[in-house]
Amino acid sequence: MLTFITRRLLAGIATLFVAIFMMYLLVDLAIDPLADLQEYRGADKAAKIAAREDMLNLDTNVVVRFFQWLGHVFQGDFGVAWRSGQDVGTLVSHAIGSTLQLVTAATVLSLILGVSVGIVSALRQYATFDYLIIFLSFLLYSLPSFWVAVLLKQWGAIGFNDFLADPNLSIPVLIVVAALMGLLWVLAIGGSVTRRLQTFGLAFAATLGVMLYVQLTDWWADPQLGPVLIAITGVGFAFALTAVSAGLRNRRALYTALATVAIGVALYYPLQGFFDSVAPSHLMMFGLAIVAIGVGVLVGFLFRGPDWGVSARTGGITAFVIAAMIYIDRVMQVWPAYVNSNAIGGRPIATFGDRTPNLGGNYWVQVLDQYTHLLLPTLTLILVAFAGYTRYSRSSMLEVMSQDYIRTARAKGLSERTVIMRHGFRNSLIPLATIVPIDVITLIGGAVVTERIFNRPGMGALFLNSLQEAEIEPVMAYLLITAALAIIANIVADLIYAALDPRIRVNA
Amino acid sequence: MKISRKSAAVAAVAASALALSACAGGSGDGNSDDGAGINDSESVNIAWNQPFYSYNGNSMTGNATANNVVLYLMRAGFNYYDEDLNLVQDESYGTYEKVSDDPLTIKYTYADTAGWSDDVAAGPADLLLEWVAQTGKYNNIEPVYDEETGEVTNQAEVDAGVYFDASSPGISLVTDVPVIEDNSITFTYSKPFADWETAISPNLPAHVVGQRALGIEDATEASDAVVKAIQDGDVASLQKIANVWNKDFNYAELPDDENLYLSSGAYVMTDFVKDQYVTLKANEKYKGEHKAGIDQVTIRYNGDPMGQVQALQNGEVDLINPQSTADILSAVSALDGVKVESATEGTYEHVDLQFSNGGPFDPNTYGGDAEKAKKVRQAFLKTIPRQQIIDNLIKPLNPDAEIRNSYTTVPGSPAYDDIVAANGQSQYDEVDIEGAKALLAEAGVTSPVSVRLLFDPNNTRRVNQAQLITESAALAGFTVAPYQVQTDWGTDLSNAKSFYDAALFGWQSTSTAVTESDANYRTDATNNHYGYSNPEVDELFNQLQTETDPAEQTRLLGEVEKHLVDDAFGVTIFQFPGVTAWNESKISGVKPLTIAPGIFYGFWDWKTGNAEASK
Repeated sequence: MLTFITRRLLAGIATLFVAIFMMYLLVDLAIDPLADLQEYRGADKAAKIAAREDMLNLDTNVVVRFFQWLGHVFQGDFGVAWRSGQDVGTLVSHAIGSTLQLVTAATVLSLILGVSVGIVSALRQYATFDYLIIFLSFLLYSLPSFWVAVLLKQWGAIGFNDFLADPNLSIPVLIVVAALMGLLWVLAIGGSVTRRLQTFGLAFAATLGVMLYVQLTDWWADPQLGPVLIAITGVGFAFALTAVSAGLRNRRALYTALATVAIGVALYYPLQGFFDSVAPSHLMMFGLAIVAIGVGVLVGFLFRGPDWGVSARTGGITAFVIAAMIYIDRVMQVWPAYVNSNAIGGRPIATFGDRTPNLGGNYWVQVLDQYTHLLLPTLTLILVAFAGYTRYSRSSMLEVMSQDYIRTARAKGLSERTVIMRHGFRNSLIPLATIVPIDVITLIGGAVVTERIFNRPGMGALFLNSLQEAEIEPVMAYLLITAALAIIANIVADLIYAALDPRIRVNA
Repeated sequence: MKISRKSAAVAAVAASALALSACAGGSGDGNSDDGAGINDSESVNIAWNQPFYSYNGNSMTGNATANNVVLYLMRAGFNYYDEDLNLVQDESYGTYEKVSDDPLTIKYTYADTAGWSDDVAAGPADLLLEWVAQTGKYNNIEPVYDEETGEVTNQAEVDAGVYFDASSPGISLVTDVPVIEDNSITFTYSKPFADWETAISPNLPAHVVGQRALGIEDATEASDAVVKAIQDGDVASLQKIANVWNKDFNYAELPDDENLYLSSGAYVMTDFVKDQYVTLKANEKYKGEHKAGIDQVTIRYNGDPMGQVQALQNGEVDLINPQSTADILSAVSALDGVKVESATEGTYEHVDLQFSNGGPFDPNTYGGDAEKAKKVRQAFLKTIPRQQIIDNLIKPLNPDAEIRNSYTTVPGSPAYDDIVAANGQSQYDEVDIEGAKALLAEAGVTSPVSVRLLFDPNNTRRVNQAQLITESAALAGFTVAPYQVQTDWGTDLSNAKSFYDAALFGWQSTSTAVTESDANYRTDATNNHYGYSNPEVDELFNQLQTETDPAEQTRLLGEVEKHLVDDAFGVTIFQFPGVTAWNESKISGVKPLTIAPGIFYGFWDWKTGNAEASK
């Protein structure tokens, strides 16, 4: 194993060196640091060109310059972006921060959405729902992100903001939307005719009810979850989660989930007071989330029973969801003040940048402002990545479900839930484990187009701007980091694969 | 308690439906939180493509439009360009007058109303500091490079040495230390200089440089110490001053030390978030004439032209000036409540002919027959479809676009009409195929004459222009072909002269300075890549360099251009089109200027619109 890792690492370093060397030559060919001076008319043009050639060592052979640069990098000096005189190390750390903010939510959400839709699609293979999802995922997969981004700006920001000015839909529109939702659920769940009718009726009624409620209470102007809705949604979620992960026969798991919801709702009002009395921060919220999960696990543990681990897991997940709802509710409370402020002017969804200038405001306002700026770029990334994950998880689930051990599991009388969730789903994740690390890592360097269009100051923007400004140092720092990360991600993916799948053994 | 599978499914569907339809609810207690601490100031937002990075806009590093537009709002000066590109004195900052013509002596006097936002008066020390930076007189340590590695071998000395990151051809003529008397400072030029009015402008606050470089706390003492160091030529102090001048004022986000962004003008910087925006508030300490029309201005950075248009539509920005294309123009014209103005920008397109490469325009090709070569050049210029280029490629972006007919002067500037009347370039306004054929016949060259045209093959507009030129010239017997790119067009322009016969590209004009064109048309000058040489032009430029009377300057430029036309040097075609659009309900009084500062001109006339009309 050690030999294997060493060999992979050495090969990785060699690849990295060759890649970086070639990239340096190519970047040097691609940029022209004197371009802006070529059109300069002043009498001191020659002097300016000479000064710049001196500054950038342009007289030196590019190979020599590469090794000089490499030498500096080994000493931890990434150089200076010469046009603006900024330190490249600072530039890069700033850019990575912004990119992580964007990429984290997008990856997690597209993974959850993509995998769950893919699994459902696989279970309903060749049903209408499956074809619908295949169509949708190929459509999204083939959309260029710059185009999605522009459309999202037009409809998701400008259109939605216009809608917010007068957030009313006519009753027929509401009915059509509710009917479509009902249909979608029927297609996804399937079953006998009675079952389908029930599903449709329920989904239709729930959707219509919610939309009417939203419209009649002027919810858009003052959005709230409130303890009642948190309780209702929480109980629903508790049942759904238990049904999927433990089975409703596992009463301990169910009671754990319900108890956790009860605790969460009971804490709603005390938490409001708590939030108002402290100066909240991301770190504190992260701590609170951990505490919440801990409480959920503890509740599960207290119910004991033969496999208390299942209850603890259910409790932990439920607690996290309830905590997230309370958090979102608190953020929503600043919405009216936010939307009506002068800086926002009633148009909350932003098309560019990562914050509203001169907004001020407390932690909650800042969080809300970040969300309104993250919304569209995150959606862009999700739409594109979602399609890929759906395809992967669908095909891997289909392959797993046709394996002999699935038939064996069914033959020995396991419930369908157990077969799908425990024997099917888990094994279908193995191929994903090799894709996800590489995806995550490439996204860190790779949201170039999305960042550019939404003007977020991340790694992609750093790369593009530096290339345009003919600054080789930041470009190379970017390429070095992304190349190194890509190579590491490949090694990590290999290792994860070996660890997850006992059929794969590394024989060093 | 028995829970059936059915009811579990019901619960699951219900919960998911609730979540999917956007978590609904509302306990109705409506505690709209006014204690959220939101800043309720109103601001006008302007989109710009490149972030600010240096407060020292007169250094070689910091001299970029991105910096100078922000500094335009933050710094008052002795003069500014008005709408008609006249240079006007801002007497609320100070006055200047020409004391004598020989030697050229200029006296700058600061007004009592000139001051920095930290309550320190702006004064002669500031201008003296700028002089020492621009003159290069004390730049005693030039970097020395290792022959083999190309590394600077005396980095430590260069760092320690007096090296100001600046150069100015005009100020380098002021060799004696300017003399300070009370509130005035007098510059004496060693020889007359035509563009003395724009040769120097107040830049950094001397007292802050003194405080940072010399470690003196009191502002007056610090400023006096800077003056003394300059007057005494104190190298040790000047080294420190130069280091501060070169480096301390370059920053990409709001620095901790507020002395690094003092204001002497209408606005003072209050916030600067890296790559996102700069916020400027009206400077309460400003006592001058150009008072802020709008209390708070935010410049937001967005490099994507279509992104700027959508941000304008979404109300995130109120004034944009994106790179103009037909798509941008039609997108922005479709918006409600938005005023769109097509205008011209500083760069102009032109065709120059190569005289010195043995090609069709070089007399040597015809055994030194200059007259014959000139006829061929004239014939080629007659075929260039200037009006058609403008109609097809520029009018969609700027309906008012016209042919530019001056080699040296921006259309709309005071001297433009006189110069155009004098130079006679308008004879090329219309394509004259018959005339071209006749000239070629007179010259007796065998057609087709092959012409290799240099242009940027990656620039679509230039490719289209080349196409139009090729088609038109073919009618008269010229075979125009794109030149073979050697390294890139900009480098090839000066280094690969034997590969092209004519060049199509743009020159930038950044001011109305009359000496700017010297480098283009004088024999062997920096930008004269074509071997063009006319002793009379050289002599006229010599006179122009030292001519300080504007009327006489105009006459000389007219004569220079007359020679250029008579020698068939080339033709100018059009001024680059620009588009400016703003939300009329948020801002009014925008009057973009052709040259820098563009859309920021006239900020003192800006007014906030009535916000309730915004959609």
